[in-house]
Amino acid sequence: MSTRKRKDKAWYALFTMPLLLVFTTVVIIPFLIGIGYSFVRWDGIPANPKVFVGFGNYAELLNDDRFLTSAWHTIAFTVLALVLVNVLGLLFSLLVTAKLRVSNVARTMFFLPNLIGGLILGYIWQFVFTDAFKYIGQKTGLESVFFNWLIDPQFALLAMVVVFTWQMAGYTMIIYIAGIQGIPDELNEAARVDGANLWHRLTRIVFPLLMPSFTICLFLTLSGAFKIFDVNLSLTKGGPNNATEMFAMNIYNEIFGYGHYGLGQAKAIVFFVIVAAVTLTQVIITKKREVQY
Amino acid sequence: MKKVKKVSILLTATAMVGLLAACGSSTDGNKESGSPAASGTSSAAPEKLKKISLFQSKVEIAESLEALAKTYKKETGNDVEVWGSAGDAYATQLQAKLAAGEGPTIFSVATGAEADKFKSYYADLSGEPFAKDIAKDMALTDGGKVVGVPYGVEGFGLVYNKSLVDPKDVTDLASFTKTLEKVKADGKNGFSLSQEAYFLIGHIINTPFALQADPQDFIAKLNKGEVKMADTKEFQEFAKFMEAIKANSPNPMEVKYDTQMGDFATGKTAMVHQGNWSYGMLKDYGDLGFDVGMMGLPLAGNDKIAVGVASNWVVNGKADADQIKAAKGFLNWMLTSDSGKNAIVNEFKFIPAMTNIEAANLDPLSQTVYEATKNGQTIPWALNYFPQGIIVNDLAPATQAFFLDKKMTGEQFLKNLDAAWAKGAK
Repeated sequence: MSTRKRKDKAWYALFTMPLLLVFTTVVIIPFLIGIGYSFVRWDGIPANPKVFVGFGNYAELLNDDRFLTSAWHTIAFTVLALVLVNVLGLLFSLLVTAKLRVSNVARTMFFLPNLIGGLILGYIWQFVFTDAFKYIGQKTGLESVFFNWLIDPQFALLAMVVVFTWQMAGYTMIIYIAGIQGIPDELNEAARVDGANLWHRLTRIVFPLLMPSFTICLFLTLSGAFKIFDVNLSLTKGGPNNATEMFAMNIYNEIFGYGHYGLGQAKAIVFFVIVAAVTLTQVIITKKREVQY
Repeated sequence: MKKVKKVSILLTATAMVGLLAACGSSTDGNKESGSPAASGTSSAAPEKLKKISLFQSKVEIAESLEALAKTYKKETGNDVEVWGSAGDAYATQLQAKLAAGEGPTIFSVATGAEADKFKSYYADLSGEPFAKDIAKDMALTDGGKVVGVPYGVEGFGLVYNKSLVDPKDVTDLASFTKTLEKVKADGKNGFSLSQEAYFLIGHIINTPFALQADPQDFIAKLNKGEVKMADTKEFQEFAKFMEAIKANSPNPMEVKYDTQMGDFATGKTAMVHQGNWSYGMLKDYGDLGFDVGMMGLPLAGNDKIAVGVASNWVVNGKADADQIKAAKGFLNWMLTSDSGKNAIVNEFKFIPAMTNIEAANLDPLSQTVYEATKNGQTIPWALNYFPQGIIVNDLAPATQAFFLDKKMTGEQFLKNLDAAWAKGAK
């Protein structure tokens, strides 16, 4: 081996080792310990006994209605959020790259909600849904639309979608903007000369070339929506009557509400597997559709 | 375009790592989250007591407690580090800190399921001078040993506006309902619960439990499924109370603690189901223009308010011997010295559960609780013996369903409560 190669390796190690070390100690090791905990019945107090139950916790969670219901809520929420966030994000990005006078201001405004933390966002919107909506309903007479959304099981879930969309749409917009700006002007111009209308230019040129951005945005919204916790906690606390309890919140309640550490841990592992499987599938599918020009 | 693609891969990878990290921390995060400042073991000069740390759940007394620690330092030269209170997340944080071996020397636990949960940590306090001064049956014990000192007693019941309601008119279900209707006819609101789990169901359901011959035994049987609330007389009447409340008062799902007390303070609501702690809120409104009182929920002829110990001081037995000694020293000072006693009564505003501390300057609600305690006119806090977390996790959702579904009857509500209990007690 030449000295140069060895030197390269040393540099490589110097830069990766610290990161690897941190990653191992704060992610890999706790994760492995977590898998271990999912096989015991334990209340989380070190002094109390941990009883080994094998796959007992996993069997139990299959019969846990509340967990399965929370799975359904999470899926419904994720699908709605995924569609809304990306459609709006894409619309916004097309809007602000359309050389309008207000595009810079609009860009900032659309992105701003993303700078507010999820917890605070939840509290702000809680006020909007409970007080502002009721007020609007009373003033305009549209009480069938403007009422306290948070006390209706279905509408509370929609409220979560609205808040999540409000937070994420601006973020995906930025990624789509970057993608759109990466598309060379000559392609669009050539198409225009050939007589393609806006719709054709969008579907035949812009969208195919935007696939890398779609991959990222879909991935971010998918995993973000699946793992949602902060907005869930501050906006609805899972209520009313557990109608908006998502996966992450169910796990939190199992561990800290009931003190079923092992069972909660088993749920967390299952949760991880599901999130990883779904997002990986999505990345593989959308990657395949990415085109080069 | 190539560049965009590379960036996309990089971004995807980073986000993937983020996902892993997020999952990792949700699975095991609580073990890592003990604050580094928590150790507090820097040993001071050997002749004085070791520096100790204190962690407790009541946000209301946080400032006064820090002031007390300063006084302690001035009077004795010893250090007590008061950690910030965590409010609702207290038990979670305490558990995380203890599990990480960075637990506080002195901490607080709620009587009942929470005290049971942490009992492997308690140091024996039986031999301490203050132990004999704890009011009868109020100490936290473990197998005959005194392990915890009560903060003080607290009480809850129907807090009412004396200019709108006469307690003589609220003696049973019929008169309670009639009062609600009468006040409603006057354009005001007779009664209000609020959306927080304890204020929605936790406290009000205490009454039918406390009226059982042996509440603890009843709860044990309920846990095993040997009895049902739906078959028990007191609960059947409780359901009728809840029906009356649903029919005649605003939906508690739309009322927050703030609004509940605000409407009460401004005379819009005649009665609320609350405790003496709520006076702190009323005080912010200045002169109310009316007198407030507290009475028992008139269920099955009950006329007593529910009084119990909410929280206890305990010493972490897993701390080192010097720290335990220092912790006991601090508790002794707080509970027997004049400055300590003064702080408990006048700064913390506790209703003392110690025979050597005289209550003084109590607000009207606390005064009622104090007198009821002295006269024995109280019912116990059965809710302390509920399975851990059941109020927030199971009973509250069932109650939300009851208040949200206009058609649900009290009978159906009781059945749902039974089902919820069966789940929570598992």
